[in-house]
Amino acid sequence: MAPAAQFELAQPPNDAVSALVFAPESSSRLLVSSWDKNVYLYDTQTAAAEGEAQQGSLIQTFEHRAPVLDVCFGANDDEAFSAGMDWQVIRLDLTSGEQTVLSKHSAPVRRVVYSRQNSLVISASWDSTLHVHNPNDTTQAPLEIPLPGKPHAMAASPSKLIVAMTSRLVHIYDLSALATGLASQTAPQPWQQRESSLKFLTRAVAAMPSDAGYATSSIEGRVAVEFFDASAESQARKYAFKCHRQSQPSPDGAPTDVVYPVNALAFHPTYGTFASGGGDATVALWDADAKRRMKVYQKFPDSVAALAFSADGRHLAIAVCPGFETGMEDYSGEGRTKILVRELGENEALPKGKAK
Amino acid sequence: MGGKKRKHPDVEELLNRAWCYYCERDFEDLKLLISHQKAKHFKCDRCGRRLNTAGGLSVHMNQVHKESLSSVENALPNRQGLDVEIFGMEGIPEDIVQQHNQRIIQNYYQAQAERFAATGNPPPGQNDKRPAKKVKAETPDEIKKRLAEHRARIAAQKGGNGGGATHTPPTGLPDGHSPAQSASPGAFNSPFHPPGAQYPGYPNQPQYPHAYPPSNLPSRPGSNVPATSGLPQRPGQPGWPANAPAAEEHASSVAPQQGDDIDQLIRMAEAGIRPPKKSETPAATEEAAPEKKSKKEKDKNVQMIYEDELSPEERMAMMPRYAFNPEAAAA
Repeated sequence: MAPAAQFELAQPPNDAVSALVFAPESSSRLLVSSWDKNVYLYDTQTAAAEGEAQQGSLIQTFEHRAPVLDVCFGANDDEAFSAGMDWQVIRLDLTSGEQTVLSKHSAPVRRVVYSRQNSLVISASWDSTLHVHNPNDTTQAPLEIPLPGKPHAMAASPSKLIVAMTSRLVHIYDLSALATGLASQTAPQPWQQRESSLKFLTRAVAAMPSDAGYATSSIEGRVAVEFFDASAESQARKYAFKCHRQSQPSPDGAPTDVVYPVNALAFHPTYGTFASGGGDATVALWDADAKRRMKVYQKFPDSVAALAFSADGRHLAIAVCPGFETGMEDYSGEGRTKILVRELGENEALPKGKAK
Repeated sequence: MGGKKRKHPDVEELLNRAWCYYCERDFEDLKLLISHQKAKHFKCDRCGRRLNTAGGLSVHMNQVHKESLSSVENALPNRQGLDVEIFGMEGIPEDIVQQHNQRIIQNYYQAQAERFAATGNPPPGQNDKRPAKKVKAETPDEIKKRLAEHRARIAAQKGGNGGGATHTPPTGLPDGHSPAQSASPGAFNSPFHPPGAQYPGYPNQPQYPHAYPPSNLPSRPGSNVPATSGLPQRPGQPGWPANAPAAEEHASSVAPQQGDDIDQLIRMAEAGIRPPKKSETPAATEEAAPEKKSKKEKDKNVQMIYEDELSPEERMAMMPRYAFNPEAAAA
């Protein structure tokens, strides 16, 4: 088709993707965690081989004992943290390939985030705890914080940590409080406790880089945008909207609304816009301030599992693999898992009216 | 074969048919061509709106969906450009018209010659090709010569038009079953059909299949261009069969009555039936048709693809495929 504003990454994972993330410095370094027990490190900018449609190259894979559920970069482009089904939080040295176990939960670890400002690694596990680690001193015991429910999504803004759990619970922690809590080994109380604005199971959380708020999405084709500031005025600004749905004509006349889960959210690093990816195999770009949809991309071959913007905001990585649907007895992302990287146009993710 | 009922159209008739610049398909009349173009080439993949021209679609995409149109859908690889403004038969560049006519003529004579050879009827005049037995005796040289001729022609055409208008025959075989053909045999008789159907009875050209790499051939009449000519399939556009190639194979081999839904519409229009509006896509919408049916209908006709107290990841974690046994790992 048209010249590649979007290309497929060579040597994709062998099974479904759980997370992907760009490096904090280089915007061609991409980490992908997969259900095939590996973490993959790619260079997205390697030119395509002669006659190949796929671009990029696989730099290294890091094998784990069990499916990997999340991965994030650490302080620099050579440090990463992974969390997986084997209950462990692991520090990966991307140059030497060395793996260090940071802590062990008593159930699979769903999410792991790194806070650059506070240099903390926080993991959230289905054992309903958070572990807060000091990545610079792996001998220090992690701080354990009990949660009222199983966490499903977690994101960190510059100063806050948002944890979304079952039963629509959302806890927001102050990251500096977590840092002092780690030093004194006392679990701090959440800075705020909220109920999700969405009525269904939370699927993804993304924090605004501006530190003003966050977005959550649910399995029921909906996204909510909320703000940290607890003042009534600020809270009045929160909103939610439907998306990733398709109207399908049904035999009896009234069209059926087919509702897909919104699997992924990612904020653009500078523009205040964000992308959502859903089970309907589409990615949409939204302007969080104007409450407008800016763009919907062409449908992808399968459900969108994860999204990430590069640090410079010029690239959007999209993980595509079959979506898990209610009632599935068997699932495999084998052979259908792809990583696509889209080069964004100059003003593609820029809010309307602010174009240069 | 089939020639009993109707005579083969002469070359003049063929040249007068309306045909589509984008996919080289030909039509009974201009109205059908226009409706084909609106449905296949100028339809908005976001909202399904049909525009009259590629330029119109481009403006629509821009204004309504804030997207830019880069190429014309379902067009042959070298005809996707937006630079030519096509409406029906208007606007086709002269050289393309020439190419098209040349191809029609060439196909016509070739089909005729092959018809003669296959039926064993001596053509009026010189051609001394005879029924099967005779040709058998004249072996390798003849065949090599023919092969050489064909290669030369293919090469010439490749140089000339980049494969946009290569001629068809041998791979046209399946056309005997193509949906469009069978849907209304009377109304849409492709002149290319009968010769195609006769190839099996013409055993003396074992070399042909090699001389015509199938992938280069624009699929002819009844079949659908986008599926067979190796065009990139745009992933599931609303109101478009999400997996056209598979669907078509299915349709052509199993159910001759239901072709491509757009074709269907055109056939219906031909037959004077007005299709109910909005009903054009029920069988073809999106990828999940089968699984959707198995889902429970919810109130207010809302259907959730995933609905559970547990997250999809927890469900996946329960599958043996992804299971992790801490004891085993520790041991």
